[in-house]
Amino acid sequence: MPLIRKPPPAAAPEIAAPALDAPAVVEALARGNDDERWAAARAAADFPAAVPALGDALAHEKSPTVRQALFSALAHIATPQSVETILPFLRSDDALIRTEASDALLAMREVAWPFVPQLLKDPNASVRIQACVLARDMPSQVAASLCCDLLDSEPDPNVCAAAVEALAEIGESSALPALMRCADRFHATPFLEFSIRIAIDRVRSQVLSPRA
Amino acid sequence: MIFTEAKRYYVERRVVDRMLSTRSDSFEHYFARLRADVQGEIEQFVNAFTINETYFYREEHQLVCLTSDLLAARLKVKPRGEPIRIWSVPCSTGEEPYSIAMWLLENWPHVDQYDIEIVGSDIDTDAVALARVGVYGKRALMRLPPRLVERYFVADDGASWRILDDLRQSVRFTAVNIVDRADTRSHGRFDVIFCRNVLIYFDDLARRTAAENLFENLLPGAFICLGHTESMSRVSPLFDVARFADAIVYQRPMR
Repeated sequence: MPLIRKPPPAAAPEIAAPALDAPAVVEALARGNDDERWAAARAAADFPAAVPALGDALAHEKSPTVRQALFSALAHIATPQSVETILPFLRSDDALIRTEASDALLAMREVAWPFVPQLLKDPNASVRIQACVLARDMPSQVAASLCCDLLDSEPDPNVCAAAVEALAEIGESSALPALMRCADRFHATPFLEFSIRIAIDRVRSQVLSPRA
Repeated sequence: MIFTEAKRYYVERRVVDRMLSTRSDSFEHYFARLRADVQGEIEQFVNAFTINETYFYREEHQLVCLTSDLLAARLKVKPRGEPIRIWSVPCSTGEEPYSIAMWLLENWPHVDQYDIEIVGSDIDTDAVALARVGVYGKRALMRLPPRLVERYFVADDGASWRILDDLRQSVRFTAVNIVDRADTRSHGRFDVIFCRNVLIYFDDLARRTAAENLFENLLPGAFICLGHTESMSRVSPLFDVARFADAIVYQRPMR
């Protein structure tokens, strides 16, 4: 009856992973094949000094699998330098790369938070949207203040919508005046007006019944 | 593992339990013990926090998918003679890997034609120890038809049942931390991984790391099954979605 007809191996067949030091990681990132670059990217998470090499690799990497590992390594290292290395990819023409960059920043959100004010002023609307997503998890009063400031001057309704969504989740009553002003400003943009109405209801309900 | 404010009572209770178990007269005393890992306290602490709610034949539709579709797909690409390797992680107290073994014996007509290796792993070493013993109460068996209980278990004392020795020996149990890539790499590559209802407890970085580790643990074209409320698409773009009649699972690309 045993499922295994032969005795199982004494030890599982391990996945071979070369022990890479920092120079070997940099070399493999630059010149390795797909498997070698994957292994190097994963190993790079242990070497904060590899951040520049990770950035260089990201700029040229064609394999989505390896690229994911590169972003993950930067997220693991989680220094201001790794945030700065990721930021340019928020402006990529490739939506997948923009999403991966955003996810990597979210994975090290506390290190990324100091960058949020400048990102909210970026000339690229897509970057401003990602900044609203990052702001969502910041301490609530700071996040609310940043998003409200944005709502009072942001010209792009999609960016406003991202800030409105963040404020709905944050639930600070201090956001209500800015939400109402934004609704007035964009009264000719039905989807945004609707979103703001929902957000106001949510904020008010959270004020009345605060979450534990 | 991350716990929100809503879980404060859960966390406090377990910390207090560990303080009592270690006769620590203050939190500072206990924390120092934990930081120094006195007498393996880190392991005990982790064990205290893992959630071990499980039963036999949980989320049966994925077991159906295993024998209806996944194994056939794997056999099309596997070199002849290589064993089929299935990983249940986390395995908790063993219900899932034993369920896989029973399901294969009951539902896969080719079960005698292939070497099948089933590995059950968990970070909770107490749970792994219990899995090796293979004794279960009524609640764990609640989804099993009586004929299967009769076929694969021996009544222990009227309130518990022990898995037959032959079936116990069909599963190898290990301890593993799926966020530790050295740990996961030591287990090798698998044809099917069941990793259900654990990624939801991780923060973003740990979830990402675990997904990348499990990706490495899959053979090209192999499958990973998550819990029915989970989606790998939100965790990692490494996997392809594989839709079958009975389940949506995730697949490592062939290349």
